[in-house]
Amino acid sequence: MRARFILYPYSALSLIQPAHAEIYLSIEQAQKLMFPGAVFTQTFVTLSETQVSAIEHDSGVDVRDSKVRAWRTSTGGWFIADEVMGKHEFIPFALALDADGRVKGVEILEYRESYGGKIRNPAWRAQFVGKTHGATLELGQDIKNISGATLSSKHITDGVKRLLATYAVALAGH
Amino acid sequence: MLSPLPVIERAKPLLGTIVRIRVAGLSPDAAHRAIDSAFAEIGTIHHLMSFHEDDSDVSRLNRDAHANPIEINARTHAVLAQALTLSSITAGAFDVAVAAELVERDVLPRRSDLPATDGDAPWTDIVLLDKSQVRFRKPLWIDLGGIAKGYAVDCAVDFLLETGATQVCVNAGGDLRVAGPDIERVRLAPEFNGLSIPVVELSNGSLASSSGTMAARRCGTATGMPHVAPRNATPTLDQFVSVIAPRCIHADALTKAVMAKGARTHALLARFGARAIVHNLTHGWREIGRPV
Repeated sequence: MRARFILYPYSALSLIQPAHAEIYLSIEQAQKLMFPGAVFTQTFVTLSETQVSAIEHDSGVDVRDSKVRAWRTSTGGWFIADEVMGKHEFIPFALALDADGRVKGVEILEYRESYGGKIRNPAWRAQFVGKTHGATLELGQDIKNISGATLSSKHITDGVKRLLATYAVALAGH
Repeated sequence: MLSPLPVIERAKPLLGTIVRIRVAGLSPDAAHRAIDSAFAEIGTIHHLMSFHEDDSDVSRLNRDAHANPIEINARTHAVLAQALTLSSITAGAFDVAVAAELVERDVLPRRSDLPATDGDAPWTDIVLLDKSQVRFRKPLWIDLGGIAKGYAVDCAVDFLLETGATQVCVNAGGDLRVAGPDIERVRLAPEFNGLSIPVVELSNGSLASSSGTMAARRCGTATGMPHVAPRNATPTLDQFVSVIAPRCIHADALTKAVMAKGARTHALLARFGARAIVHNLTHGWREIGRPV
């Protein structure tokens, strides 16, 4: 094990990107991983107001978007692409359901790490412009991990709950 | 000439947080298969050791181990053994039998199916028997939330290395382990907006963090596996602790001991080849333990 603790002055950091987005999987890649060998039929649905109310009632979670991006698979299952609001950013994810509507898997498709309010504020960052000396580190490029931020998966769990209700109300028997 | 193998990274909601796995040195197909298996293993550990799920080993123990010996999975038995050792050598600064107090503080959910606990039952009333059986001398509630996340990270990393991956990083919501020659940079405590950015450069090691401020703030929210706050010490609020150790199970568990005891954990950290980085409002950033 080797470890070194360093306090970098803000001026040593390159803050060009306000947040770093890591793309893990495209929709197609997620489909192949979650349903290997299956054929997908796009079955996008727009929820009616009655359906939205039923889903919100069943799941206890608000429906932000009435459009459901779903694919029916040749194995009888469903693939749904959705997103939830994380701490600061949207988190796109995919849910796979088997032919009985049970959760087969969840994949986070893209993840944006937040740098906290101050760092994201351009006016605050501007005070460091021109103060850079020597080598710089780029947040997100050189630092891919953050430790100590409260990082709950509750918003994704809620998103899955909402999609299970969506399946029952709008997709099952489609 | 070898074609360069891509770095493959994926993320799933597990252990009450977002778990990210990054591997290098495998073909894309092999990497995805290895990552699938590693996530499945983390999922198994989560189901075995969750306080929340009715049929987890932890729930079965909390419900019935005071009445009869309960047989549990070998993984849970191993983690419980480690937790008892840590409870003992930290004199309760890390306390595996603290769940009742966490329920009282709304950090863990109330469970109507559990027997009332004996308020005085400490970890010493937990008896590990042969054949993966466990018995409690008195009704008590255990919580492995302060150690299971680190254990799950270790299992995933060990498995991924066996598949032939050359560089691995498993990050469970900030509790992480890195294996391989490359340095991984970890930014600590983004919520402290001081004059500088604290960063740990790490290779072949683990890092876990705990924050007194955030542990207090998360009360009343369901966050899966919360921090253990020891019952015989008042955790200092507005304190941030990171522990660096070879294995993530130790980094994870030792953050709670350092949170409670500060610089007095020097010898304890040395025992696990670990060191700590602590921030509080009085002293700013401090390191405890020998540089590794």
